Amino acid sequence: MGFATIDDAVTQGIVTAVSGAIPGAEVEVTHGSGGHYALRVVSAAFAGKSLLDKQRMVYRALAPLMSGPNAPVHAIDRLETVVA
Amino acid sequence: MSADTAINQQIDALVKSNDVIVFMKGTRRFPQCGFSATVVQILDELVEDYETVNVLADADIRSGIKAYSDWPTIPQVYVKGEFIGGSDIVRSLYASGELHAKLGAKVEAVDPPALTVTDAAARVLREAAASERHPTLRLSVSASFQYGLSFGPQQAGDLVVEASGLTFLVDRGSAKRADGMTLDYDEARSGFHIVNPNEPTTVKQITVQELKAAMDADPNIRLYDVREEDERARGIIAGSVRLTPALVEEAMQLPKDTPLYFTCRSGARSNRAGEDFIAAGFTRVHNVTGGILAWARAYDPSIEAY
Repeated sequence: MGFATIDDAVTQGIVTAVSGAIPGAEVEVTHGSGGHYALRVVSAAFAGKSLLDKQRMVYRALAPLMSGPNAPVHAIDRLETVVA
Repeated sequence: MSADTAINQQIDALVKSNDVIVFMKGTRRFPQCGFSATVVQILDELVEDYETVNVLADADIRSGIKAYSDWPTIPQVYVKGEFIGGSDIVRSLYASGELHAKLGAKVEAVDPPALTVTDAAARVLREAAASERHPTLRLSVSASFQYGLSFGPQQAGDLVVEASGLTFLVDRGSAKRADGMTLDYDEARSGFHIVNPNEPTTVKQITVQELKAAMDADPNIRLYDVREEDERARGIIAGSVRLTPALVEEAMQLPKDTPLYFTCRSGARSNRAGEDFIAAGFTRVHNVTGGILAWARAYDPSIEAY
């Protein structure tokens, strides 16, 4: 049995936010140090979109987690957007 | 007019009046975050001049630019009024050559670098590759010669190099800096070891632990203590000799690839002595960081700090 940590909650929050905004997206989150995270998102919705648009779809979903002085997510170290 | 609107107009004016502008943490000369540094490094290569705005110096701009671009992270790059993206995208467009086109810079043909991988390194990497989703190795060499080696997929613009049965992917920016380098693996030192002829020769900073390992391996290494006699009376590293002016003359006559080690009280004076030897053409110059104080803490508590 594991202990739920704040990190787990943030990771879950990222998955919920992204998969809510991009239906059917597969979201893989890796926690780095502090509030740094790496994401791999696989979705059919990325088809035909530029890298900027693909990242923007993910960042829009994350914006609430990244704004304000106490934002749980400080930085996304790596964001991989893969067309399913 | 609300404050938000004023900021928005200020940002809009900046974006429209500069061909290339970066909203970043720190300045072009002193970036204060790795992502901003990446962007500056790439733009420095492609364009003569561009504008930067340090968001750390202005909290309103910092939050304003995020709203203006609908993009939650810094840095942010604009070219001719068009939002390009953050460091990930800039790096990816640079690698594929698209950024050159946007900036009107020529894409210069880059040759794949020559890489040498020793048998020991190849064995370790092949074993690791067996359990990877992408068995190709991404190798990067930053402008300050920090190395990156990880498994990952090929990206646009990557140069592909086959060496010792392994496939290496090298981004365009790293290619020239990686050319001619050798990747070795040393079991005893439990790590990869890189010899790169492109690295500028500098004084290599080593810890007292690394010094001890070197002395254990070769008791006759040349360890020069640059302190005066009265300081040496407080305590010395056994095997060190005082670097007198006469000894400097003598040492300067040694073959230029002779490994030399320098120490003092805390490592500052010895580093300057080491730089003199680098300037004289010596290639394997080491400075003991922390000097005798660090040595005392690690190995000889009888030496009092001073």
